[in-house]
Amino acid sequence: MITECTSIKEFAQGGQKKVFLAEHPKFGKVVIKKGLIKSFTSLERIKREVKLLDELDSEYYPKQYHFNIDFKTNEFEIVEEYIEGSTLRDNLHIFYNNPSEIFSLLDLLIDGLSLIWDKNVVHRDLKPENIILRPNMKPCIIDLGIARFLDLESLTKTISPVGPCTPIYASSEQLTNNKNSIDLRTDFFALVVIALELYLGQHPFNESGSKYSIMENILRNNYIVENENVNQNKQMSELALKVLHTQPYMRFRNYSLFKEFLKTYL
Amino acid sequence: MKIYHQTGFRYNWNIESFEKGVGDGLIFSPINIDSDKLISFKEKMKQVSFLDPQLYLLNEAKGSLDTYPYFPGNLKPDFSTPDLDNSQDELAKLCVDYQIENDFEYLVIPTRYHADNPTNYFLDSTDFFVDPFCEYLKEIKNSKKVLLSAIIKTVMLTDDEKKNEVLNWITGHQNIDGVYIIFENNFTSKQIKDFDYLLNVLRFIKILKMNQLEVHIGYCNTEALLYSIAMPDSVTIGSYENLRSFGIKRFQDLENAPMRGPNARLYSSFLLQWVDYVYIQAMEKLITNYEDFFDDSEFKPLMFKPDFKWHFAKAEPYKHYFFVFDKQIKQLPELQSDRIFYVKQTIKEALNLFKIIENNVLLDNDSDGSHLSTWFNVINAFEKEI
Repeated sequence: MITECTSIKEFAQGGQKKVFLAEHPKFGKVVIKKGLIKSFTSLERIKREVKLLDELDSEYYPKQYHFNIDFKTNEFEIVEEYIEGSTLRDNLHIFYNNPSEIFSLLDLLIDGLSLIWDKNVVHRDLKPENIILRPNMKPCIIDLGIARFLDLESLTKTISPVGPCTPIYASSEQLTNNKNSIDLRTDFFALVVIALELYLGQHPFNESGSKYSIMENILRNNYIVENENVNQNKQMSELALKVLHTQPYMRFRNYSLFKEFLKTYL
Repeated sequence: MKIYHQTGFRYNWNIESFEKGVGDGLIFSPINIDSDKLISFKEKMKQVSFLDPQLYLLNEAKGSLDTYPYFPGNLKPDFSTPDLDNSQDELAKLCVDYQIENDFEYLVIPTRYHADNPTNYFLDSTDFFVDPFCEYLKEIKNSKKVLLSAIIKTVMLTDDEKKNEVLNWITGHQNIDGVYIIFENNFTSKQIKDFDYLLNVLRFIKILKMNQLEVHIGYCNTEALLYSIAMPDSVTIGSYENLRSFGIKRFQDLENAPMRGPNARLYSSFLLQWVDYVYIQAMEKLITNYEDFFDDSEFKPLMFKPDFKWHFAKAEPYKHYFFVFDKQIKQLPELQSDRIFYVKQTIKEALNLFKIIENNVLLDNDSDGSHLSTWFNVINAFEKEI
């Protein structure tokens, strides 16, 4: 499959993999991911991600075209759909101080994420970098590399002090590696952190002048809903109040309730 | 808010009362009701009732539990915990099929009881019961509402870590509609007088309701009135004390265990208390119109006859309680703020009545109003939090 690709250019490098952009005669622009398999855990994670993406046939996720492991070199290669557009991080300005746009985006993201939640999978790494806005503004969710498959055996060591995550978007159960408490409500937390960051133009757990780090503030549940440039907004504050809690049982119990809440403002 | 009969020994008293319009349904008890007998009950009654599968001790064949197809000992003799690894799907199927065959109002996922909850208790409960049940329910495209059973130990109310664990576990199940919750009661007094315990119960119910779960509370005594202010979906009425306060002994096959017969008591909705008959006899002699402290019912005239032989195993005081308490629960206002006001008023009035009684008859603290001040304070504390 990769041999059929032309114009291969390195695109990005991160973690354990290199990412290339290429042209494929049948699929057009594609992304090639290559990397070294460093452990059984990383192999298992890659396999699970590939299998999941294979099962998902949705515009909310990139399509998977090819997956191969070279056991001689211990390298993997994945070819997947290239998503036109740019990351949510590059589009923060569109949503700044704009609750209705943020709620519409959340509504779409929940529709997309419900596809994996229904399979008992938690993304666990939602952040603006892992959401690509297509030219029609529909989000595409990428990087399921540390997704938690609740029906399968956990790959995270129980003794690890912190579970797999991007700490500044992680819920307290991730930061404390409370594995048994991880479920879709973990993703709800990240979604609302992102929503407030879009609204404020600032990470909500990073209040200027705070003597605590973002992670410490997450664990203390200290967040802001307004700053010197953006006033408090009822729907954003209510959203924060419903979801930004250290304990999952204080958040929406399921995505239908989350969507129901969004609908009251949409 | 509904009121279910918590059935047990002498379940016919509950059925007789239910057939006279007392209570909204029954919670059936397999250790007391033979499976074939339950199957033969009227459909109309079963359709508004549900089954407590009673797998608390997994393989303890108390009473008629082994007449039920899902009883683990019927799957394999000497069934033990490791057998759950291979039999959980079959057990779930048999238990669900039995409940569907009977067309109960709700389908109930069982739970196990451990004196000291092991660290993997919740994970095991999910693996052995919740997941297999939910998968089978999905497979058969079940449309009935599903309740998850949970026994809440005192430590789960008082210890934050344990409380968070159990609440995250209950609310983490996507395919349940509610909980059949039992607050384990280790108190030695007849009424619960522990401020923290009661306030924590109310908070617990409130969180479950916040999660939009139906909350059905089993094994209630008269504190059900207090719990009502947290707006659960149902509470229970039961005859003997072991149906109004959960203890695992009820499910243990204690051969030749000594039987303890408590004094007979009569419930008064005016006093919010069960009064020992010994004091009722004293009241008769010392207080004019003493019978006005007790509610009217079809059983009252008989019980207040001079030759009535009070005994804890007689039907009348319990049937009287079912009737009176059901009426009392039905009188509660629908709106939470109104209900809180109403219960507080009722407590105040009860305290005043106790003052009148105790001018003439001194009561012990299992018959007096000593629980009421705690209840009143708990309501005030809870009110501040909502």
